[in-house]
Amino acid sequence: MKAPYSWIKEFLDIDLPAEKVAEKLNETGIETTVSKFGEYIPNIITVKILDVKKHPEKDKLFICKATDGTKEYEVITGASNVEEGKIAVLAKEGAVIQGKEIKPVNFGSFKSEGMFLSLEELGIEESSEGILLLPDDVSVGVDANDVLDLGKDDIFEIEITPNRGDALSIRGLAREIGAIFGIKRKEKFPLVSIAEEIPVNIEALTDKVYRYRGIIVKDVHVKESPWDIQLKLIKSGHSPINNIVDITNYILLQEGQPLHAFDLSKIKGKIIIRNAKDGEKIETLDGEEKELSSADIVIADEEKPLAIAGVIGGNNSKIEENTTEILLEAAVFDNISVRKTAKRLAINTDSSYRFERGVDIENLPNAQDKALELILKTAGGKALGEKDLYTKPYTPKEVKLKEITTKRILGELISKDESAEILNRLEIPTKTVEDGVISKIPAFRALDLEREIDLVEEVGRVKGFNNLKTTYPSVSIEGFDKSDEYLFQLRTRDFFKDNGLYEVVTYTFVSEDIYNIFDLPVPEIRIENYLLKIQSVMRDNLAVSLVGVLQENMKFQNKDLSIFEISSTFFKDFEEIRAGILLSGKFIDGFYYKKGKEEFSTSEKWDFLKAKGIFDSYFSLLGIEVEYKISELPYLHPYQSADIYVDEKKIGYIGKIHPKKASTLKVPQDTFLGELKLRYISRDIEDTRHPEDYLYEIYKNKPAVVFKELPKFPAVKRDLAFVVDETLELDKLIKELKRSSKLIEEVKLFDIYFIGEGKKSVAFNLTFRDENKSLSDEEVNEIVKNIVDNLKTKFKGLQLREG
Amino acid sequence: MDLKQELESLKDEVIAQINNAQDLEGLNKIRVEFLGKKGKLKSILKTLGKLSPEERKEIGQIANKLKDTLEQLIKEKETVLKEKALEQQLKNEQLDITLPSKWIKAGSSHPVISTLIEITEIFKSMGFSVKEGPEIEDEKYNFDMLNIPKDHPARDMQDTFFLNNGKVLRTHTSPVQIRTMLKQKPPISIVAPGRVYRKDADPTHSPMFHQIEGLLVDKNVTFKDLKGVLQIFLESVFGKDIPIRFRPSYFPFTEPSAEVDIGCTVCGGEGCRVCKGTGWLEILGCGMVDPNVFKAVNIDPDIYSGFAFGLGIERIAMLKYRITDIRLLFTNDIRFNKQFKGIR
Ligand SMILES: [Zn+2]
Repeated sequence: MKAPYSWIKEFLDIDLPAEKVAEKLNETGIETTVSKFGEYIPNIITVKILDVKKHPEKDKLFICKATDGTKEYEVITGASNVEEGKIAVLAKEGAVIQGKEIKPVNFGSFKSEGMFLSLEELGIEESSEGILLLPDDVSVGVDANDVLDLGKDDIFEIEITPNRGDALSIRGLAREIGAIFGIKRKEKFPLVSIAEEIPVNIEALTDKVYRYRGIIVKDVHVKESPWDIQLKLIKSGHSPINNIVDITNYILLQEGQPLHAFDLSKIKGKIIIRNAKDGEKIETLDGEEKELSSADIVIADEEKPLAIAGVIGGNNSKIEENTTEILLEAAVFDNISVRKTAKRLAINTDSSYRFERGVDIENLPNAQDKALELILKTAGGKALGEKDLYTKPYTPKEVKLKEITTKRILGELISKDESAEILNRLEIPTKTVEDGVISKIPAFRALDLEREIDLVEEVGRVKGFNNLKTTYPSVSIEGFDKSDEYLFQLRTRDFFKDNGLYEVVTYTFVSEDIYNIFDLPVPEIRIENYLLKIQSVMRDNLAVSLVGVLQENMKFQNKDLSIFEISSTFFKDFEEIRAGILLSGKFIDGFYYKKGKEEFSTSEKWDFLKAKGIFDSYFSLLGIEVEYKISELPYLHPYQSADIYVDEKKIGYIGKIHPKKASTLKVPQDTFLGELKLRYISRDIEDTRHPEDYLYEIYKNKPAVVFKELPKFPAVKRDLAFVVDETLELDKLIKELKRSSKLIEEVKLFDIYFIGEGKKSVAFNLTFRDENKSLSDEEVNEIVKNIVDNLKTKFKGLQLREG
Repeated sequence: MDLKQELESLKDEVIAQINNAQDLEGLNKIRVEFLGKKGKLKSILKTLGKLSPEERKEIGQIANKLKDTLEQLIKEKETVLKEKALEQQLKNEQLDITLPSKWIKAGSSHPVISTLIEITEIFKSMGFSVKEGPEIEDEKYNFDMLNIPKDHPARDMQDTFFLNNGKVLRTHTSPVQIRTMLKQKPPISIVAPGRVYRKDADPTHSPMFHQIEGLLVDKNVTFKDLKGVLQIFLESVFGKDIPIRFRPSYFPFTEPSAEVDIGCTVCGGEGCRVCKGTGWLEILGCGMVDPNVFKAVNIDPDIYSGFAFGLGIERIAMLKYRITDIRLLFTNDIRFNKQFKGIR
């Protein structure tokens, strides 16, 4: 909200600099910035337009004659709203408008001696249509800087928190500023008389209207408002329309009380405040047709809805130039009801904004009478009838603030006398009692101040939080835990970083398309009111996001990418924190080297075993043994992808992207994707399960490390080579080897060669050791023989290679 | 020629050859040729038998001395040649040590995650433990129990993403407060770092961003304690002399509430584009836990009090690293990410 300081001063004898006021408002809870209204412009005067003619040569231009009372000017303008007899602001030679100096200019064979100015050219509005036309109560031939108050007044730009509807008016701000600086607010009350000639029929069929007061005024003249009203509206960022509408806006700004004026001649029968009918339609003042529901409240006559209560008026009863009789409405509607309607219809007006935040029901007659006073003064007419529907008058709630509570919450005792003083300054009637104060909450703070704690805040904020000293709490040791899961995640992150991967952060919502490309079912959880369709699906894996990062980087020819992300994936009842990696292209971008017989390359490209190696290295860090089984994930290479298991629990996968997917996605074929399930986060607060298929749980539950004596007896080594089927997964053979004798300490694969005819030769280096004695050659020979026999029974066609 | 002379000339010849030897191989040849089992010295000594015992003795002595001398010389030469050979070998192994290395270079952190962790660590060191919650939340935890009733304008403060399962993407980390207080009785001192979501479409906001939430509940916790904790925190992030101010504000789940500003780190308080000319940067929101929140989680507000605070991480990371456009944080252009070497 924009609030001119000069207007506030009508309610407050204050001459502090505006900056000081703004600073204090900020310190006590109302966000405020301050700026000057316009800037002084030399050589601008008010002139009366005497004559307007079309330019004979140039389309859309007008040749005007204007006078400042002594001198006549010829001015050429393109403004279509230029009108004979009106007063305009003329920039004469030497004026500087938007950085340009005004000089006489020729348009065709006519010369323009100056320029009529718009609000935009005056530096007041960001954009405006047409030139500024001033009402006839403005003098001609005077410095326009004085008329427009340029460069003098200060404008506060106020942003209130939702609880401070009371500060959404000039009067309310004056009250707040007065309280801060200890200045008593002043007010000129309206003097009006309303004849009881015409009965006003108002009927409320809903309990969502708390007060409704209608006044009938006849014989009004709708015309432009006097300049002082117009200028205040302009300073507050409003556009003047006509005197009746302007006055309703003026009072809304000044008093915070929304008003509405109906053309009485268009109302049939009595005024009814009722729920709208489902599907009932109304064309609003901005010309849009809105469909209403039964949750909305309307002001209606006996035939049709006239306005959406508290939100916006209807076109069918609006004030027009020929309007002569009006119904002036002032009401207070239920804040929640207004909010629901405004939200649903997506209409945010000054009126709905204020109703949602609370309107001072007790100030309603005062505000409305001020409007009436102005109408009678500027539009003429007579007030001929009035009705005030106010069935449940406001009764102030009493709230007690104990002295000790200020100490308990703020840490510093504010004496009851000081509290009472502060609250009374805020116009909250407060008296001291033995152990504190009791406040009677006035209507303008009814929504905000209900409890003791609210009063603590009131006195605290006015006193200023900056004036409280700082202390340090004694955090109890009982509340402390080591945050193991968090540390586990940090350690994982450090691992990937240390091993050459760059951390990325991607959006957790992705597109449906990527799932289709990946041949995965689209996850069920979606954002209904998404910003972008491509950000509407809550992902259930990280690969869909990481591939996007690669695509993004391909735009900059960065196809060597080693990245990781630790982030959330989403499922029906829970969330999973995963570590995802994407590896593509080279991870060492080296050089080729040749010297004599020596030649090598230092470059390293990702391949399946290297990609898997990253995970293996991580498992080694954790001390966890895993098993790889061929994966069936549809977006991975069918023969170069593996699911990762720990004791039959699937905890992740690693693999090469499927060549077809790589082509579709336009990413390199040599791209590897992997994910690990780190942690489980339940959405259900009662769910205390710790599912075991997460690395954190596996890590946490693994047996503690216990030192084992170093071996006392020597090891015996033997090399063994077998011929087996080409397709045999060697891990199976290795596992069987390890199982086949408890004296085997280590099995190391050192050679594979493909013989052809579906066979391969594989060689192992075996280490045997007995913890209790030295093994003899004969003993080892016997063990080896048993092992080979065992393997032959387990693996069909396995042969020992002699040699 | 008599034997004496022969030995003399042999000595001269061998010394000359030793001196000329170029490498260990050559030197070894010399040793074999003259001092070996079939060497020249041996063959000379074979003829000793023809001599008289006196002569034999004399020549024998001379020959032995000669042998010692020559062996000594060869040994000395050998040391020299070995040194030379090593030198040569080292020379052959010369390498341009400025060549690019052949090892993976460590990666780097994302500035937002780094900042989030750094801040979490500060609070951890003050005795707060880390708690996390789901990002898909019940409205109950995200709003209702935090004293943000439906149809209250306070809900406008946070534009919400609604999901087709009737839940929302959490708009702040505050529901972790509720989750924690429902499970745990005071004393409670937690921080909750995490991702949050708001439906903000302009270029200075991201629909997903990070926050950290703090909560301390115990007997006798006051606003002054809150100030103390936040002052320590802000000083450890922004430096000892950072100006701090508390502005009263409004959050439904705290009462009293405040926003905390720090002196603009870009202009030092003079006023600039970043601080919109005010000299201050809004950095976090905080307050004393509202009694309604305590009631919602069955904690007696007459016995316990507490404070809560929350701050956005992106803003702090952007200030810290002078990042100008929030969108850079989530584009993951690797040229951006690779700039953040050496940060936590
Ligand atoms: Zn600044």
